[in-house]
Amino acid sequence: MTIGLGRYMRRRTFGSIAIALLAAVSVGAHVGSPDVFFEGDAGPYHLFVTVRVPQVIPGIAEIEVRSASNDVDKIEIVPMRLSGAGSNFPPTPDVAERSKQDAQFFTGSLWLMESGALKVRVSAEGTKGKGELAVPVPAFAQRTLPMERSLSGLLGFLMVFLAVGLVFIAGAAAREGNLEPGETPPYARKRRARIVMALTAVIVVGILYLGKAWWGEEASNYKRGVSFFKPPEAETKLANGNRLVIQAQGQDPEWSKRVNMEDVIPDHNHLMHLFLISAPGMERMWHLHPEREDSKFVDDLPDMPAGHYEIFADVVDKAGFPWTLVGQVDLPQIHGNPMVGDDSSWTGTALTAQSGDVSVAQLADGGRIVWEKGSGPLVANTAMVFKFRVEDKDGNPAKDMQQYMGMAGHAEFVSSDMSVFAHIHPAGSASMAALELANGAPKGTCGITEQCVMPAGMTMPMPAPVSAEVSFPYGFPKVGEYRIFVQVKRAGQVETGVFDARVQ
Amino acid sequence: MGQSIPFGQHIARPPISARVVAGARVESVPWPIWCMVAGIVSGMIGGPWDISWHMSIGRDTFWTPAHILIQLTGVLVGIACAYMILTATFGHDAATQDASVKIWGFRGPLGAFIAVWGCIAMLTSAPFDNWWHNAYGLDVKILSPPHTLLSLGSLAIKIGLMALLAALMSRATESVRRTLGFLLLYIGASCVAQMGTILTSSTWPTEMHQAACYLAVAIAIPAVLIAPAWGSQWKWGCTGVAGIYTIILLTFEWVLPLFPAEPKLGPVYQHITHLVPLHFPLLIIVPAIVLDLLWRKTSEWGRWKLAAVTGPVFVLSFWAAQWPFADFLMTPAARNRVFGMGYFAYFDPATILYDPYQLNASEPRAVFARLMAMALVFSVITARLGFAWGDWMRRMKR
Repeated sequence: MTIGLGRYMRRRTFGSIAIALLAAVSVGAHVGSPDVFFEGDAGPYHLFVTVRVPQVIPGIAEIEVRSASNDVDKIEIVPMRLSGAGSNFPPTPDVAERSKQDAQFFTGSLWLMESGALKVRVSAEGTKGKGELAVPVPAFAQRTLPMERSLSGLLGFLMVFLAVGLVFIAGAAAREGNLEPGETPPYARKRRARIVMALTAVIVVGILYLGKAWWGEEASNYKRGVSFFKPPEAETKLANGNRLVIQAQGQDPEWSKRVNMEDVIPDHNHLMHLFLISAPGMERMWHLHPEREDSKFVDDLPDMPAGHYEIFADVVDKAGFPWTLVGQVDLPQIHGNPMVGDDSSWTGTALTAQSGDVSVAQLADGGRIVWEKGSGPLVANTAMVFKFRVEDKDGNPAKDMQQYMGMAGHAEFVSSDMSVFAHIHPAGSASMAALELANGAPKGTCGITEQCVMPAGMTMPMPAPVSAEVSFPYGFPKVGEYRIFVQVKRAGQVETGVFDARVQ
Repeated sequence: MGQSIPFGQHIARPPISARVVAGARVESVPWPIWCMVAGIVSGMIGGPWDISWHMSIGRDTFWTPAHILIQLTGVLVGIACAYMILTATFGHDAATQDASVKIWGFRGPLGAFIAVWGCIAMLTSAPFDNWWHNAYGLDVKILSPPHTLLSLGSLAIKIGLMALLAALMSRATESVRRTLGFLLLYIGASCVAQMGTILTSSTWPTEMHQAACYLAVAIAIPAVLIAPAWGSQWKWGCTGVAGIYTIILLTFEWVLPLFPAEPKLGPVYQHITHLVPLHFPLLIIVPAIVLDLLWRKTSEWGRWKLAAVTGPVFVLSFWAAQWPFADFLMTPAARNRVFGMGYFAYFDPATILYDPYQLNASEPRAVFARLMAMALVFSVITARLGFAWGDWMRRMKR
């Protein structure tokens, strides 16, 4: 998808080179949450990386890197394609600038020249040698910029000045241009000059009209590019009482031609992660994993009460670009199948404006999940590490933690108005499939393109023990009320802890 | 003229004929003309360098050397024109005032007003382009509305300078006239180079078997080729313009790759170690020679009749030369420093490399015929425009 998209967005320039109102900000990776947050190891160095994705493409991404240790001397950053052509030749890397106040914090800027699945490669150098990691970055235009009144006025004045100036220059040329020096223009010439000025004025108006039409065409093309990356609509149909059928419908006609749902790749074991969240209060949530049937996805729903539900469905296309399908559905009472496998659900109280911050979630077995929130306020657009501690019924760190879909936990950050939805992992906001494309499959796991068949004579490696503490790097994109669903697995059971947060 | 005269005082003037002979005669090339030529040379170097910069390095700032050279065009032309207009308006040299036109109370040579218009258009394009980048992203293409305004401004400066040169030629001594005539051809060549750059997409080597290529050339080139040649009244005028254009472009094609460069933007699809130039110049030299020969016997014809012959002869002779040359450019023999077909920009996708030497021949035969017919029709119109412009310059006095 992305190579084609790059050309769609950018077009060729120089031959072979030759690619209103603040539009609703929506994104493919998540919904309303375009920035990328990542935590991982660059060789011996543990880094937290934030990529502030530009709102227009090509545009400048701001990169923030924090080292967990003080032994990093130099950070280099460079953008590349996530996979395929262009993922092998890096441009000259930029050296991130070390903060004068905080020696472990580095910042830099990178031009992202193409839309689609990109990655930012981060190289760290310090007393322990060199290390490298890559952060997947879905790059896409998010908006168009209105022209400020002052600039609009200035350009309007200059346009009129140039247009009128041209008319008068043409008049002077006809009246005096080829008169002998010193000769006074006769009446006939003056009359001819007026005719020339009138004709020039008509031509100038025509040129301005054509220019406006061209500008409109360019703006329209750009808006189509913005629409292309808006979250596709999840069109739903209920069959046989509990069979939910989901079909993706892009917001631009080109989308369906370029993004094939039959080509989506598994993201931590599943082709789709479907979240059904009751609206408006979010007092119920289901995390399900539909199967693909041709270009559609189907799921046999479990028992569910009738109600209105928001749909968020995460998929990753073959180039590693993550899409979140969005939609709404009114469901009748569902008498469905028992949940199996990785499917999970939660029921509790609704999020209201009076809810306030909730930092302890009680679990069914008497245990609880505690959000180590700290005392400071939560501030929008600030990268944070959200740490949660899972305790058993005696208040001790839970010893029965297990991997849940290949990792210690999953978290969904949802704003009260449902305009923000982000599905986060301990490694950050990037999809695991994209991370694997960017960095290769982690040891002991099956890559996207590999078959999970062990060679003869070998046994499956035992999964590493899972800590009772799980953390998620993320930053709230805007002020407001949020609900955070934290999901972990203990003794074969998926547990969901729910936290409420007010972000300033 | 050393005495002080209060502003607005009536100056007793001698009879016109005496003033023309005594005051307006041009015996050397005035310094503002050299200043404007220097500005255009500066822009002429800065333009291709900037394009090469974008193809090779990518990232730029307002202060790259190429950008400074382009901006110097406006500065030098602005200084020269401001001097000419202010001295004609507020000075006391009657001959200077006599050889000027009047616009909005200001006096000055017509060409200076046209060039000032160009400078203001170029200045206007700067905030417009900046906003465009913020609104729609950095435009990595030559033709966008703000870039077109910039290009129009640049073209107006050249048109203004050619008008100035033509006016000076009308009252210059023979030796000065020759210098001015050469400068006219040079500025004409820079106009052809500018139009050629705008046509880069349509005239990419792989597009040279498409009628759209010849239609684009027929629309953009004849007027800027014919006007300075016709205005100079030199029998090899077209050849001179096209020859200078060819030399300029070849110089860039051969010199730019001598400088090391590496991409500073990604994704990078091509490994770049030096500045990447644009392609080999269009073979406009061929129709130029043909036109110069044609006009030896037809220059006295009526202009529409002359244009009706000149336009199609231009298109057909260009087609006859460029079409087989395009075949050659697709061969391994052209992938060298001379013909420059081995160069790729860092952002040329790998898909281009699957077959970058395959001529695009996607136009159906009927479309090809229709576009070629349109090219012939447009060539007549643009040739007629070139003759009108050239005649205008021949008559230019102020």
